[in-house]
Amino acid sequence: MIVSVKNLVKRYDDILALDHLSLTVNDGEIFGLLGPNGSGKTTAINCILSLLKYDKGEIEIFGQSMRPEAYDVKRNIGVVMQNVAVYNELTVQENIDYFCGLYVPDKRLRKELVTEAIDFVGLHEFSSYYPKKLSGGLLRRLNIACGIAHKPKLIILDEPTVAVDPQSRNKILEGILELNKKGATIIYTSHYMEEVEQICSRIMIIDKGRAIATGTKEELKAMITMGEKITVESQRITETQLNQLRRLPSIVSADYKNKLLIIKSSKGSNNLETVLEFFKTENIQFGKIYSELPTLNDVFLEITGKQLRD
Amino acid sequence: MSTHVFVNRLKCLLRDKETIFWTMLFPLLLAIFFNVAFANINSGEAFQAIGLAVVNNSSFQNDQALQTALTEASTGKQKLFELTLTSQDKAEQLLTEQKISGYLLIDKEPVLVVRKAGIRESIIKSFLDSYLQTMASVNTILQSKPKNPALLLNSVGQPQNYVTEVPGTTAEPNSILLFFYTLIAMACFYGGFWGMREVTDIQANLSPLAARINISPQHKLKTFLSSLSASLLIHFTEMLILLLFLRYVLQIEFGAKTGYVILTTALGSLAGISYGAFISALVKKSENVKVAILIGSTMFGSFFAGMMVQNIKYIVSQKFPLLAYINPVNLLTDAFYSLYYYDTLSRYVLNISLLGIMTIVFCLGTYVIIRGRKYASL
Repeated sequence: MIVSVKNLVKRYDDILALDHLSLTVNDGEIFGLLGPNGSGKTTAINCILSLLKYDKGEIEIFGQSMRPEAYDVKRNIGVVMQNVAVYNELTVQENIDYFCGLYVPDKRLRKELVTEAIDFVGLHEFSSYYPKKLSGGLLRRLNIACGIAHKPKLIILDEPTVAVDPQSRNKILEGILELNKKGATIIYTSHYMEEVEQICSRIMIIDKGRAIATGTKEELKAMITMGEKITVESQRITETQLNQLRRLPSIVSADYKNKLLIIKSSKGSNNLETVLEFFKTENIQFGKIYSELPTLNDVFLEITGKQLRD
Repeated sequence: MSTHVFVNRLKCLLRDKETIFWTMLFPLLLAIFFNVAFANINSGEAFQAIGLAVVNNSSFQNDQALQTALTEASTGKQKLFELTLTSQDKAEQLLTEQKISGYLLIDKEPVLVVRKAGIRESIIKSFLDSYLQTMASVNTILQSKPKNPALLLNSVGQPQNYVTEVPGTTAEPNSILLFFYTLIAMACFYGGFWGMREVTDIQANLSPLAARINISPQHKLKTFLSSLSASLLIHFTEMLILLLFLRYVLQIEFGAKTGYVILTTALGSLAGISYGAFISALVKKSENVKVAILIGSTMFGSFFAGMMVQNIKYIVSQKFPLLAYINPVNLLTDAFYSLYYYDTLSRYVLNISLLGIMTIVFCLGTYVIIRGRKYASL
């Protein structure tokens, strides 16, 4: 086990930011912390890193209690903070060298690590640029390079793709997978469920500082009653037809709004066939029809009653 | 101390053009401005001989005593009058054209003719009154037939001074020095910009950069001291450049105690940086508010130290002495002032001791606030 958090409680005056949060991160996994803005992801990370004081709980990293002066533990952690944290007066190469130097005193080794980090994030042609000359995406990549250049065993990435263009986002996500392949354990926080689904091997969904579900994406989706979501474009469906549809076996819910009929069915096969049969019987005209498997947003919606993006 | 942090910090700070401007170029520009503005103050205050004409008529030709007195008063380096012997018409014309302040017409009694009342006219009148009084006294004594009239006449020409002058300083009085000394003090306290940046870059609740440093395996206070040393080196160098510029380009005098002047500048630099660090650590407001407090307090301090109006320094010293002692800009200004003017070091030591105590308070205050390595909020 790389990280162990037990019953973490953090209050900001009357606001309970973390409510007895417990989590474990195993060696070699990409652990996703998924939750809406303000759910407590960054607070949890800052507590884990011993930056924030907390009211209660125990935090262990690499089997040792995490404290501000736990330098041996910190030496093996790389952090990519949500806000870009680089010196505007140092070039790309100098920034990476500076932050790497806080972990690696040997100059020769550091030079190799810096070159590797620059190549890893694809900033080779920008290595002599000052951060102000970089685009938002390139700046994020520099931020990542500064956090991982020293080749840490544990990498914590706190929303590294916020305000990043799709090209840079893909590059960042591919990079994280590569780091993981090379042996790094990763904690990845985001409110983008697609990203978390794409790269994380295990996910914890948190809301209001509480862990509401933990597991692989398949396990999380298995926790909810919904098995399939069928969307139908139709010009007209009467209330009677809608009620009849709701009474069909395996249909969990059916809602018609803005000429879109959204049907949620329970797990099992032939759901789409059942719906099509009903449309034929009732002689309902329809345009597009498509079926989707549940997403993590559906998981979050079913557990909390609100959208993940709220 | 971490060499890695120190070297990179030097690199970083030397490229911080905005702070370099405010801490070095701005004081240099202000010094040039002061030099231009105050260029004629000292020469304007030097005494100029008063233009005086004497109507060169027969009465004057016969008055040997007056001729002697006027000749003595209008010769030498510190002469009182610029004397012209001329006709009455010409004297009248010179007076009208304001080339002289007055003229003497010698008839039975010398008569002074002036066009207006003023200091120069009063000086001529005082001279004339003194002459007439002395001559009247001599005549009165001569009428009593003294035993040795030659001795009397000799003593009239050689007045005795019954007051002994004991100089407190060997330095030449110079009214513009104080302006430049307050400028150095202000520049030292502008070093607060460096101190402020140091705290911002080490307190995780003030900047993401600081958060990144706090999660690295480096001792926070060691990193802070390494970084602060770079700031101190840069600011002290800036202050030495300012001193050299003032001394060798603008020819500003600092007296003979060069070592003490450099020591005072070093302490001033440390005081300024620690002051900025203390404000940044203490004030829980935005960066702009902190900068406003630093600039505002430094300018107030400079004002009360006499930077804008020289008399303010003396008024504060006489009416509100406590304010003079708690104003670090004034203490630093006064330290330079006392090094220049006083042969003894007692006043200098008092200033430097108080400034040293304040610097220790700023440093300790900053340490107490930033020593924590966990934060209640970020």
